[in-house]
Parts: sequence; structure tokens; C-alpha cells
Amino acid sequence: MRYADFTHHDLLLLLQGLGVSVALFVATTIIGSIIGLAWAMLRYYRTPLLAPLAAAVAELLKNSPVLVQLFLVFFGLPVLLETDLTPVQAALITLSGNTAAFVYVIAVSAIESVGREQLETARVFGLSRWQALRRIVAPQAAAFGFGPLAGLLVNQLQVTSLISVIGVVDLTKAGAILNVRTLKPFIVWTVIGVLYYLMARLIARSCARVETRLRAHSQWKGL
Amino acid sequence: MIQIDGVAKRFGANTVLDGIDLRIAPGEVVSILGASGSGKSTLIRCINGLEKLDGGTISVDGHRVDDPKQLQLARRCCGTVFQLFNLYPHMTALQNITLAPIEVLKVPRRQAETEARELLAAVGLAERADAYPAQLSGGQRQRVGICRALAMKPRYLLLDEVTSALDPEMTAEVLSILARLAESGTTMLFVTHEIEFARHISSRIVFLDQGRLLADLPTDRFFAADGGLAQPRIAQFLSKMSKS
Amino acid sequence: MSLTFDPTTLAPYLGDLAAGARLSALACALALAGGLALGIVAALMRTSASPLVRRIAGVYADVFRNVPFIVQLFFLFYGLPEIGVELSAFGTGVLALSLAGGAFTSDVIRSGILAVEPGVLEAAQVSGLSRLAIYRRIVLPIALRSAVRPLGSVFVNLILTSSILSAITINELTGSAKIIASDTFQPFEVYALLLLLYAVMTWLVSLSAGALHRHLNRAA
Repeated sequence: MRYADFTHHDLLLLLQGLGVSVALFVATTIIGSIIGLAWAMLRYYRTPLLAPLAAAVAELLKNSPVLVQLFLVFFGLPVLLETDLTPVQAALITLSGNTAAFVYVIAVSAIESVGREQLETARVFGLSRWQALRRIVAPQAAAFGFGPLAGLLVNQLQVTSLISVIGVVDLTKAGAILNVRTLKPFIVWTVIGVLYYLMARLIARSCARVETRLRAHSQWKGL
Repeated sequence: MIQIDGVAKRFGANTVLDGIDLRIAPGEVVSILGASGSGKSTLIRCINGLEKLDGGTISVDGHRVDDPKQLQLARRCCGTVFQLFNLYPHMTALQNITLAPIEVLKVPRRQAETEARELLAAVGLAERADAYPAQLSGGQRQRVGICRALAMKPRYLLLDEVTSALDPEMTAEVLSILARLAESGTTMLFVTHEIEFARHISSRIVFLDQGRLLADLPTDRFFAADGGLAQPRIAQFLSKMSKS
Repeated sequence: MSLTFDPTTLAPYLGDLAAGARLSALACALALAGGLALGIVAALMRTSASPLVRRIAGVYADVFRNVPFIVQLFFLFYGLPEIGVELSAFGTGVLALSLAGGAFTSDVIRSGILAVEPGVLEAAQVSGLSRLAIYRRIVLPIALRSAVRPLGSVFVNLILTSSILSAITINELTGSAKIIASDTFQPFEVYALLLLLYAVMTWLVSLSAGALHRHLNRAA
């Protein structure tokens, strides 16, 4: 028996998929941001060995397809480490790493935009590297990095769709299931597309609002 | 003949040109003087169609500038030289000059290039024909700009503060070329701050103040105590300019 | 934990990998051409004087930037046959890549067009050049010169995105690698190698874009 029409169960499936996508997006964004910022700290403190290593890993992750990274983690790691990995675990690891690489690049670029003299001035006044970072560099860098960060978030949301290929039942996988069952690709994929689109716009709009609030409090009036 | 009748132009709430009547006949050399913001550049930009008129008409040799179908014909009669040169950055000096003759007048490439080289030689830039604008000084770029305008063999040459962006030495270079052009009988309409130069080569002076035409007189009449100088606004302007 | 990392066992499969790479290269080259053409048209539309024309092209770019590529791909792959369009999997993949590439390309070229100095445009207008001639000889040459580096990034993105084509049974580089991985039971080596291959390819593209940029802008 094949239920070729849409039922209210399908709505549940869609919502479930949506929930999985959102949960993974949020989780990997948070974890990835922490890791990425940590790498940027390594670079800021010029930690020998670890800083260049982080830079190299970031470069590799940035310049290779996320799908291949997913395959490497989901299919490759279990064989290498002789453990088992669920699709969700593999997705978490891969997407966090991928996000970290891009956050690292944005953070480094933002810190560099602040200008060497700021840091030097702070040091001359006796502030430690950490204090200089916390009070002088980071606030300004945050303002510089916010725009690119918003763009990254939208992009990483799209990237979550790839976890469907390794079997995670996210929004895209829900679409695939519905497509196979109802054989109505135009409706199914349009709905999926619209949902992703709306989420992307939501993210973009929220970021814009946070940015205006950040700007309002900063002294930087611009040129 | 360039015919300007009752021309008005507004930018938002600001009236920049307020009922200008002017005639430029072939062979004349006319300078437009006035303070910044008096509407001088705007007037030239209305003649070559870069600004739309809010009132009145302009026609160049009978072609109406405010009629889109006739605008291109009007433009062919005019050559424009700009304050900021506006050379095409991706083309050599030679290519800058030959582009319009080849594309618009359909002049064969060989001929266009020969004529372009002649123009460059006349302004002393023969060896710089293959240089890009970025490799030229300001004065050199403006000279190329003049050649580019002349290459179309225009009946009227419109010059919009063409030396304002140049230092004194380059200004002198360019002014001497313009003086030669005026002597050779080219019809020219200048917007300029160079009062002495205007006095020296113009046949007629037009004075604009806050969008209105305060004077339109032959040169010696304009600078005469009982002519242009009799108007307090003009006298004030000239004394300020001579101090700087 | 047995860290048996032995890439030499992959040697007999290099031929298949090369075939996959060739297919990827072909798909990306075609998509680059298609995306560039679409992108230029869309950029011209987005900088047009007509608000309606701007809106249409704007919507195109907006949609293709905010919907995941795999969803776009599935939409075309499963949807086109429904309306009677019979396209091979490869053809569908190239179409999808071109559409997505065109959206990002139009962003870049639009920026390039907007960056052309207004004064230069005015000089072209008053010399009597037709609209077409102005676009052909002035606007596009200048816009494209400044767009080379960002277009390089778009091409890099295209190459990385092309790996998703493996999801609709195209045996390009990633698709071939999947087969090899299951054949050899050495997924880690295969995918690690694949990762490096892609990284090298994109690095080469970035270098070329930089060189092309320097060459085109040697005069400025």
C-alpha cells in the first residue's frame, strides 16, 4: 500500500526534519564558533606549532567539499578508530569543524582590521595581551567581523542539508522521503526550499537587527 | 547655434538654474563665470544631456536636447572635456581617442589612428600614445581628454572647469593649448575660474549668480567699470577672485 | 586502535579516480561558462534602470543564494521529468550548477558594474556611443577586470559544490571515490586523499585567478 497523497503525518515529518536541521545548525554553530575563536587565539598569541597547525587545518577544511568531509568522518573515522559513529555524531563533528574553519578566518581578519597600533598602544600602557584583547581589540573586532559572520551563518544553514546524504533525518531527508512516497517533486521540493529560504531570511534579519544595536552602542561613527 | 531658452533645473528643493536664455553662435569663444554653486557646470551638463531639464529648451544646431530621439544627434555636434578627465582606464591614450570615431562615426581604424596620432602630436604627447591613463600625469590626461573630444570633429567644444584639478604648471600647459584652439576658430564654451585666461581669449563673458544670468556681454564690456563691473555682485566676485 | 594508513593500496584505482576527475572538470567548466553567461545577464538586469527588471533578477539571485544546492538539484532532477523535460543526470547537474553559479556570479559582476566611475560613463555617453557600445566597450571590460579575484572564489565554490552531484548518481570525482571506498574497504585513505585533491585543485584555481588579475590590471 502506498499513500500517494499528503497526510497530516507528513506535516509531523516535516516539522521533525526542521527541528533536526535547526538543532544541528545551532549546536554546530556554537561549537564551531568556540573552536574557531580558540584557533584565532592561538594565532593572536602566536603559539608555536599549534597556531600554524590550526591555520593549516582551517585552510584544508575551507578548501574542500563539506560532503567529502562528512564521508571522511562518517565512513572513514570508524574504520580508522575502530569505533562506531552515528550519522548525527558524524554530522556534529564535521559541521562543527567546518564552521570553526570559517569562524577562524573571519576572526583573524577582524582582529587584523583593528590595526596594530591599537594593540601596541595598549601594551605600552602596561596592559597584558589578554587585557588588551578583552578591552581594546575584541570589541572593535566584533564590529568588523559581524557582517561576514552573518553571511557565514546563512551559508552554514545551507550546508546542513548535506547531512541528509549520510542518513540524518533532517529537513532535506524528510523531503526525500516524501518525494519517494508521493512522487510529487514539485510540491515537495518547493516546500522544502521555501522553508530553508525563510530560515535563511530569519537569520539574516536577526543578524541585521543585532548589528544595528551593536553599532548604536559603539563610539565608532564611521568615516 | 546652441540655443538655450528659459532653462530651469532643480535638485530637490534647490533651484540651480532659474530661467537662463543664451545663444552661442559658431566661432564664438564664450566663458561662463560665477561663484561655486551658481549653476555653471549644471548648465553645461544640460547642454550635453547629462542633466534633464525641469523647464525650458536647449537645441544644438536645431536638435532638441530634451527629445531622446534627437539627443544623440545633438551630442554629435558637441565635444566635452571634463574637470576630472574621465578617461577610460582600461584603454591606452590612443584607444581613448579613437573609440568614438570608430564606433559612432564609423571611421576606419587606420584612419582614426592616424588622425589620433596627429592630435596627440599637436598637444605634445606623440610618444605617449600607448600609455594608459594611470601612467600619465594630470596635465597629460587632460590633454588626452582634449584630443578625445576633438577627434569627433565637434562643432562646439564644451569645457567644464578643465584646469581646476591641475597644479599651476599643468594648468599653464593646458591653457596654452586651449588658447591655440580658440585662435584657430573653434567654437568653445568654457566654465572656468581662470579669470585672466577668460579675459584673454573669450569673445564674450556670461556671468551666473545663484542660477540667474546676471550679465552676457562682450569681454571688454564685461570688465569695464560702466559695464559688468557696474553690477555690485560682479564687482564683488571679481575682487575676491583677484585676491586669491 | 589500528592506524593502518596505507594509501598505496589505492594505486590500481587511480584510473577510475582520474576518470571521475575528468567528469568533474567537464561539469565545472561547462557550469562556469553557463554561470558566467547567466551572471552577466542577471547583473545587467540588476543594474538596469527599470525597477521591474531589477526585481526579477534580484529574486533569482536571492532564491538561489538562500536555498541549499542539494534541494535545488533534487528539485530539477526529480521535477524536470514531470514536466516532460528529459535531461541526463549529468545535464541536470550542469544546469543546477550553472543556475547556482549564475546567482553568485551576478553578485560579483554587479559590484563591478557599480564600481565603474560615473564620470567615465558620462564621457562615454556624451561622445555619442550607443547604449550597447557603452556596455560592450566600457562597462563590462572595466567591471570584469575588477571581478577576476572574486570570480575565482565563485569558481572555487563551484568546484566544491560539484561534489554534491554525486548524490544524483553522477560518477564524478566524489562519486568515483565512493565506489572505490566501498571496493577497498579503506574509506579513510580514499576520502583523505580526495580532500587533499580538492584542496590542491582549489588552490591552483586561486593562484590562476590572482595571476589573471595581475595580468589584466598591469596597466592600472
